[in-house]
Amino acid sequence: MRKAFADTLFDCALQDERILLLTGDLGYQLFTSFDETFPNRFINVGVAEAQMMAAAAGLAVEGFKPVAYSIASFATARPFEQIRYCIGYPQLPVLIVGAGRGLLYGQSGVSHHAMDDVALMSAIPGMTVVLPGDKTELAALLPQLIELDSPSYMTVGRYGEPTYIADEEIRLGQCRLLRPGEKLTLFSTGEVANEVVNAVDILNQSGIFPKAYQVHTIKPLDFECLESEAELSDVFVVIEEHLPQGGLWSAIAQWKAEYNSPVQLVRIGPPDAFLLGNKRRNEYRKDYFIDTKGLVNKISELWNTDGI
Amino acid sequence: MRKSAANLMTVEIASPAVLNMDLNQKGRQIRATCIQMAHDAKESHVKGALSCVDILVTLFNGVLKYDVENFANAHRDRFIFSKGHAASALYATLADVGIIPKTLLKSYGQSNSPLPSHPCKHMLKVLDWSSGSLGHGLGVGTGMAYALKLNHSSSRVFVLISDGECNEGSTWEAAQFAIANKLDNLIVIVDNNGSQSIGYTEDILGQANIAEKFGVFGWTTLECDGHSNSELFEAFQSTNIKQDRPSVIVAHTDPGKGLDFLSDHILWHYRTPSSHEVLLAKQQLDCNSLVEEL
Repeated sequence: MRKAFADTLFDCALQDERILLLTGDLGYQLFTSFDETFPNRFINVGVAEAQMMAAAAGLAVEGFKPVAYSIASFATARPFEQIRYCIGYPQLPVLIVGAGRGLLYGQSGVSHHAMDDVALMSAIPGMTVVLPGDKTELAALLPQLIELDSPSYMTVGRYGEPTYIADEEIRLGQCRLLRPGEKLTLFSTGEVANEVVNAVDILNQSGIFPKAYQVHTIKPLDFECLESEAELSDVFVVIEEHLPQGGLWSAIAQWKAEYNSPVQLVRIGPPDAFLLGNKRRNEYRKDYFIDTKGLVNKISELWNTDGI
Repeated sequence: MRKSAANLMTVEIASPAVLNMDLNQKGRQIRATCIQMAHDAKESHVKGALSCVDILVTLFNGVLKYDVENFANAHRDRFIFSKGHAASALYATLADVGIIPKTLLKSYGQSNSPLPSHPCKHMLKVLDWSSGSLGHGLGVGTGMAYALKLNHSSSRVFVLISDGECNEGSTWEAAQFAIANKLDNLIVIVDNNGSQSIGYTEDILGQANIAEKFGVFGWTTLECDGHSNSELFEAFQSTNIKQDRPSVIVAHTDPGKGLDFLSDHILWHYRTPSSHEVLLAKQQLDCNSLVEEL
């Protein structure tokens, strides 16, 4: 995904000379072509994320389109006030890119876990929040985000993660149908979509056919899709690698409350806690049933529950 | 719409002596105006406003390039008033030079006014930047300065910060960025009034010599009396010489200058002036406020 990010951004930068790339001293060898081709448009601000966001704001005021890159937890929580006050308040077209969100850096510990990035970024009025699930989604969404005239946040995984195939077009602000189905509607966001797709493909072999959507754009949330799905489905199952507060489940719960939707809402994901143990992401995913096997079990349980 | 550089208004500068006298009078009137405005709006932050008045008067009368008719002129110098709580001084100066109408000053601090207690660009379009939270202005200024260089613009970025604002780590992150990127089109003025919200700067974090600190970071540093228009003007003049690095002018100021009732600077961070104090201020400064002249 990281290569898809660097390549797509490079292509965009060839087309639009207003695009600048700022990094908080991260992305080893990732931006070599960008730096070599556009030396004045690549700025390593050092390990100074607050400065990166404030400088990005100043650059945007003068008509540039800065892309500010760091590890997700350092790109969001640490410079939060700079993002809110310098980028959000004036609604400047800065794209913040958080690499390795969720538990991708599980082994690095709590400092590197970004389990609240969606909550933080969604809390900023006018901020578009996008979590692509694979490199195909990333490559399709990045140019759409760069076209925006307002702030946005996007996440990037690492190298060589699996991709999935789905027919539906990838449009900013719209849920993407990954697998058709009935009765249960699954909603995922970010890279956990791979686990969801794998789980659904396995479940299909046992005659279980839940519908699966990838909500790559959490903000603004695709209300239209939620409304029409609520007509067809009894239960929404949200699968997320985020804290319960402020993530996808929380956003859909807010929609449900606001529109008084009778749809039943189930969440599968980690609890409100700092996750200790410095485990690998797949181990953490197993702990909270958001790995393929855990999802197969949880979803078939729900499928077979009376009244659902 | 872009205007050519020839249309820019640059205020003619007379000899330093004449300039000093003229601007000193403006400074006293703007001080009286800040006190009147704070009283009328029941606002605070008088101290921080008074201490930066002469810096603002000098900046807007011969230093900054701007176009009164078209403030969005791309060739203008950018000005970030980072110590946003001192907004009354900024508004009074903008009114004095005709960028905003003087009548607007009466709305200071009122609901939905273009002149809130902390400047908001959404409400007052002539501003280059909103402010209120400390420690952001310099970082944003570095981004603007970098952008102006990319655009081969001769415009400069001036950022007015407070000594209290130097408590913020982000100020020093920005200071490093400015030197690393050779932002010689960036000029910072520190209103060194020596006091903060609830204590004196030196007692809180011991920032005995701010100029020295910027100097260690590699900046060109200048120090002057922040109430002497000629000294300020001379300091600004010397920043015209390009040295591949940003400049900082540490302007030493006294918020209570010319006002004997304003000697307790800590008290006057939050205190609103009484009617009697407004009267005293006008007597001691020997002038009326801009608001009264309407």
